[in-house]
Amino acid sequence: MANLTTRFFGLKLKTPVIIGSAGLSNSVEKIKLLAENGAGAVVLKSVFEEEIYNEFQAEFKKQAADQSNLEYLDYLDYEIKNDKIKQYLELIQGVKKAGIDIPLVASINCTSGNEWTFFAKRLADSGADALELNLFVLPSDLNRTSEEIHNYYFTTINKVIEQVKIPVTIKISPYFSDLGRMIKELSETKLAGITLFNRYYNIDIDIENQELVPAKILSNPTDYLQSLRWIGIMSGHIECDLAASTGVHDYQTALKMIMAGASAVQVVSGVYKHGYDFIKQMVVDMAKWMDDHNIESIPELIGSANSIKVKNPAMYERIQFMKHFGEFDKVVD
Amino acid sequence: MTTYTEYLKERREQEWRVELRKKLKGKERTDQARVHMPEVDPMERVKYQNVEVNTGLNTEQAIKEASRCMDCANPTCIEGCPVGINIPEFVKNIERGEFALAAQTLKMYNALPAVCGRVCPQEKQCESKCFYTQKLDKPAVAIGYLERFAADWERESGNIAVPECAAPNGIKVATVGSGPSSLSFAGDMVKMGYDVTVFEALHEIGGVLKYGIPEFRLPNKMVDVELDNLRKMGVKFETNFIVGRTASFDQLKEEGFKGFFVGSGAGLPRFMNIPGENYNGIMSSNEYLTRVNLMGANSDEFDTPVLRGKNVAVIGGGNTAMDSVRTAKRLGAERAIIVYRRSRVEMPARVEEVKHAIEEGIEFMNLTNPIEYFADASGRVNKMRLQLMELGEADASGRRSPVEIPGATEDIDVDMVVVAVGVSPNPLIPACLPDLKISKWRTIEVNEGMQSSIPVIFAGGDIVRGGATVILAMGDGRNAAKSMHEYLSTNPNN
Amino acid sequence: MNRILEKEFFSENVVKLVVEAPLIAKARKPGNFVILRVSENGERIPLTIAGADETKGTITIIAQKVGVSTEKLALMNVGDSLVDLVGPLGKSTEIHNVGTVLCCGGGVGVAPLLPIIEGFKKAGNRVVSVLAARNKDLIILEDEVRKWSDDVIVMTDDGSHGRKGLVTQGVEEVILREKIDECIAIGPAIMMKFTSLLTKKYNIPTQASLNAMMVDGTGMCGACRVSVGGKTKFTCVDGPEFDAHQIDFDEMMMRLGGYKAEEKAAFEMYNKMLDK
Repeated sequence: MANLTTRFFGLKLKTPVIIGSAGLSNSVEKIKLLAENGAGAVVLKSVFEEEIYNEFQAEFKKQAADQSNLEYLDYLDYEIKNDKIKQYLELIQGVKKAGIDIPLVASINCTSGNEWTFFAKRLADSGADALELNLFVLPSDLNRTSEEIHNYYFTTINKVIEQVKIPVTIKISPYFSDLGRMIKELSETKLAGITLFNRYYNIDIDIENQELVPAKILSNPTDYLQSLRWIGIMSGHIECDLAASTGVHDYQTALKMIMAGASAVQVVSGVYKHGYDFIKQMVVDMAKWMDDHNIESIPELIGSANSIKVKNPAMYERIQFMKHFGEFDKVVD
Repeated sequence: MTTYTEYLKERREQEWRVELRKKLKGKERTDQARVHMPEVDPMERVKYQNVEVNTGLNTEQAIKEASRCMDCANPTCIEGCPVGINIPEFVKNIERGEFALAAQTLKMYNALPAVCGRVCPQEKQCESKCFYTQKLDKPAVAIGYLERFAADWERESGNIAVPECAAPNGIKVATVGSGPSSLSFAGDMVKMGYDVTVFEALHEIGGVLKYGIPEFRLPNKMVDVELDNLRKMGVKFETNFIVGRTASFDQLKEEGFKGFFVGSGAGLPRFMNIPGENYNGIMSSNEYLTRVNLMGANSDEFDTPVLRGKNVAVIGGGNTAMDSVRTAKRLGAERAIIVYRRSRVEMPARVEEVKHAIEEGIEFMNLTNPIEYFADASGRVNKMRLQLMELGEADASGRRSPVEIPGATEDIDVDMVVVAVGVSPNPLIPACLPDLKISKWRTIEVNEGMQSSIPVIFAGGDIVRGGATVILAMGDGRNAAKSMHEYLSTNPNN
Repeated sequence: MNRILEKEFFSENVVKLVVEAPLIAKARKPGNFVILRVSENGERIPLTIAGADETKGTITIIAQKVGVSTEKLALMNVGDSLVDLVGPLGKSTEIHNVGTVLCCGGGVGVAPLLPIIEGFKKAGNRVVSVLAARNKDLIILEDEVRKWSDDVIVMTDDGSHGRKGLVTQGVEEVILREKIDECIAIGPAIMMKFTSLLTKKYNIPTQASLNAMMVDGTGMCGACRVSVGGKTKFTCVDGPEFDAHQIDFDEMMMRLGGYKAEEKAAFEMYNKMLDK
């Protein structure tokens, strides 16, 4: 039987199937089921600074009608933060107490503020085995240069790593004009892993009312292609572990990511769509495929088709349709 | 049944008020400037913990200030009062020299006028709705100073009117806690003939009035006079008694108590949980003020110690922060600093406290917020790192939000820090009553009549509101008394 | 009210008082403590309830003279009344039948330990007690402990009573010879710290009862705060007992020294006053 153990988050994982940050892991029972069905690690729901601020505002609206209790509400955000830490702590301790043996990863959405960095530390100290930084800056600020954005990333990462004792990883978006170089530079920090790519919240337009609405939340099966390309391009050039995220909906895609160079994959939508069985099936199918192909362990497979090892690496960088590589001139099949 | 508005109109039409209005022309009234409250000189008063800063108006000043009041046909000031005191009536009684009647008027609505006259944030309440403020854009009638005057006059005259109480009805009720809400409740219940016992966990009665508000703002002796009045009316006080621990609610029910009012307050200290906060020399404002105000630690005659810092920082912007920083100054601090993350105008503290603090040499480091503390080898705090802030968009409290200025920090030397960032509801009572419905923030949930999810248990004050004013607590106490009386009258066999 | 009915010195510095307190005697459970004041200007100090008699309506407290307030307490006589006495405070000990319980008491820490020993014995456990102190004088309540324990080891630093050695030696000996299901350690902070490190090695769940400084004792001020498992807890309402392996003993001991200078000055002033 193939050995599915792998490494990510600086930790040894039983399988390469990581449950990505979502509401899938907000109770001990849910985490138990995820573990029992073969998840290699669970990333807990991300804590957003914005969320804490919004909750704070909601309390003001609810309670500060007449200004008589302003002194009481003035620093309520600290209590909200403490509550979040408490929830994390209780969840993690609950999992450990129930004897569920699976790495738990705290997740935090980042800003580089001092207060937030200390908060990251407290979250990390709550018993988590690793910390995932959810760092995504949409480059829509017309005044912000790429240099400033870069500095922001590295200042934040270094500050957090300085503060915490557990492994720190990062999940990023592809929005960099120098993405390759960016990933390389990230790999040269003390990060224990890089996950490509974050799936961000999208908007759509309701044409009838001409207003913005949230777009479909779950990913589509073909959404994996972007992550696949970049893992393939980068994995051969860096030492840091990589994980793939977005659109991993079947075992074949998971294998593709591993062959491109990821040591693990993160799944979310698949579990939402198909339930816990989805994880079990993926793990079983991966193992069977490996057995059928005489592959004994995951490390044998990592990067077997990346830009260094594959025989036609130039294809990773092929982005234009050109006659030499294929025709596509029929509109309807 | 007359509504309150009709009642006010009736009172306004009394002959003496009609005559009094005629005595001065409108312009003669409004041309007068608002009285200045005499204060002890700042450099003198910072030497003493027990010297009250405001010395009170004298008779002449009080009458003159009262004459500024227009006795409006539509008294908007009353709308600003959380307990709806008939303000024009008591003010006009002062104007005509009937100080005892002024006190009596006040006491119809407010059990502790000497307290409220000193600690109410009038600038946000009655005085903000005064005709002068609203229509003339001039300083309001000094309603707070006048309330204090009437109450003080009555006390000093030695003739405190003890209200008449109904004949005892033999029904026992209890309060948990002896702060303003419980005292107010007790006063109303005993007037209706109930057998009231006030249970207090500490060894002194008065709650936050005793342990929280310093002598230089609210002398404890004043509170004791009010407590004596309640005793004279028949209220019983039991100190060193923690309801739920010393005896359970069930045991008290067995002893015959039919109704309970929980006024246990919001005495749980809030910490920021930033690195280094557990070093020696860093304490909650509750601890600091309790040591000084309740345990007398500022005096060598008392055994309880208190730390006397040379460089003291107080984190926060409310009245508790003001009380703490001004106490530190009085206890010999060379630098007594307020560290508050928003600007001065956004501080929740009473305007007068901030004014007094500035006069006393308190430093204000606004737009700063502590992010870390450092200590010497023995574990005593010696330095504090502050994050510099700037004001961003307005938030839901109507004030601009503090936003970190990236990378801007400042270290200052401190040897003592008082954390005054608010308090939380006392967890003792909810802990011993699992059926009691509490909110997410651990306040006791009550209906409009202050009744909790357990029918015989009522609650009011900070345990219901989170952390609010003395006057609101007292209003809750009155409301609960009325409501419990109705409940017990219709449910006698409980 | 709060009258002292009995007084006995265990040694020059350790005094036992039996105080009239019917409500507290009825409501208290092992592990609870009281806060008392000796005089009108006095401090509020916490002392664990070493025993109680519900029928007589009395509680027993045992105090070691460590400062002004405890000195004043030791000078009180039978017939005097404590100015203030309130309780029972703190969470009571969780007593279950777990098998074998190892109870370790250091010095005057045996006073709060005794009712716990009795409680565990009554719950059907096998109880092994280790008592330790610097010397013979500071070993207290040995007979009472023997009454409720299946085995007792006494350790003194100087060998003047029982065996010569530290408490941890006695504890380790017991752990190595029999299976221990739970351990309770009460005594000076440093004793609890090292006992806890020892039991952690052997994975024995351990509770320690902390003696933090207090002002009100009802959860109001935070003076007694301690870090347990990374969270801040209040000794007076969340404790006084906590999972020993999670307690930050170093921080706790640092905080115990927070008023050293003030305590020393007060003590000197007090002695000067007595000399007059």
